[in-house]
Amino acid sequence: MEIPEQAVRDEAGQRAEEAALAALVSQYAATLYRVAFSVLRNPADAEDAVQEAFVRVLRHRETLREVRDQRVWLIRIVWNIVLDRKRRAKTRPETDDVSELARVLPSDGLSAEEIASAAQHHAHVLSCVERLPAKEREVLMLSAFEELNSVEIASVLEISESSVRSRLFRARNLMAGLLQHTRSLR
Amino acid sequence: MNDPSEKGFSRDAAGGNGRGEAEATLRLIARLPAPEGLEERVRASLRAAPRRGRILAWPAAFRPESGWMRAAAAAAIVFVVAGGGWGVYSRVEQRQPARTVVLTPRVPAPGGFASAGAVRTPQTLNGPVVAHPATTQAEQSKVPAQPAEKPGRRARPAKGAKASAQLAAPPAR
Repeated sequence: MEIPEQAVRDEAGQRAEEAALAALVSQYAATLYRVAFSVLRNPADAEDAVQEAFVRVLRHRETLREVRDQRVWLIRIVWNIVLDRKRRAKTRPETDDVSELARVLPSDGLSAEEIASAAQHHAHVLSCVERLPAKEREVLMLSAFEELNSVEIASVLEISESSVRSRLFRARNLMAGLLQHTRSLR
Repeated sequence: MNDPSEKGFSRDAAGGNGRGEAEATLRLIARLPAPEGLEERVRASLRAAPRRGRILAWPAAFRPESGWMRAAAAAAIVFVVAGGGWGVYSRVEQRQPARTVVLTPRVPAPGGFASAGAVRTPQTLNGPVVAHPATTQAEQSKVPAQPAEKPGRRARPAKGAKASAQLAAPPAR
């Protein structure tokens, strides 16, 4: 039985796509995980989000060749996934941020007391971040990633670069005010 | 990977310095390493994922690119036009031949009286005779003058003459 030339070409194309996807996984899985974790703050949920992002890429792998910046494209996908998950998770009770942070954050050479105090501090800062308006919060969170410059943040959020800068400025001011306020209450 | 000076549990972070605090915390979280074996697990999930979304496809003969839709549309247009034309044609009445009543010639009954060739002519009636009522001169004078008569006006009769004329004329019935 003769194998048609078109079938051979399809098979080769499929293999090439799979290889490209595998390369994407090994190159960007860690970055996507960090983006997901910064929003969800739960390792299992973050990993799920990364997997979902790559499954979406697999479904739309025909468009992979047309993508100019694959890293930003992937971050945008996972960003949308985690925002959607977070929106849905609002109905669930909040997880204990302090204990989760104490477990996750590096703590080499620190006493248990110091770990607990620092975890509490970070949890407090993160709770203040949560109180920011969504637009400012998103820009502030993405700006923490050193891999992303303002142009790339603008691309992920689909806004202009000047909007990114102005939102970041507002976010920083709001955060300073919030932290000052909470400190004065203590 | 992490710089020791930027460790999550450094004393600087715990102390806090306002504006930079939030970014230090967020940066700390953003730098967390991915868990071990993440890539392998992602690859495994991709292998398990369905390759393509299942979409119910049309049979090849009914695919839009085969041109059947265009042919069906053309047929529908032809059907509508022809049907409409036939509908109009069927409702319009054909020209009927003139309706004539054929009278059979009257055959005289045998043994009866013959008409002897007489032709009956209907008796024509004398129409009413319209008698024009006599109008008096006084009524005539009331009638406005005709525009045609304007150019050549006749001279009015004298008052005395008018009165004598009235006396002479018999009263109109």
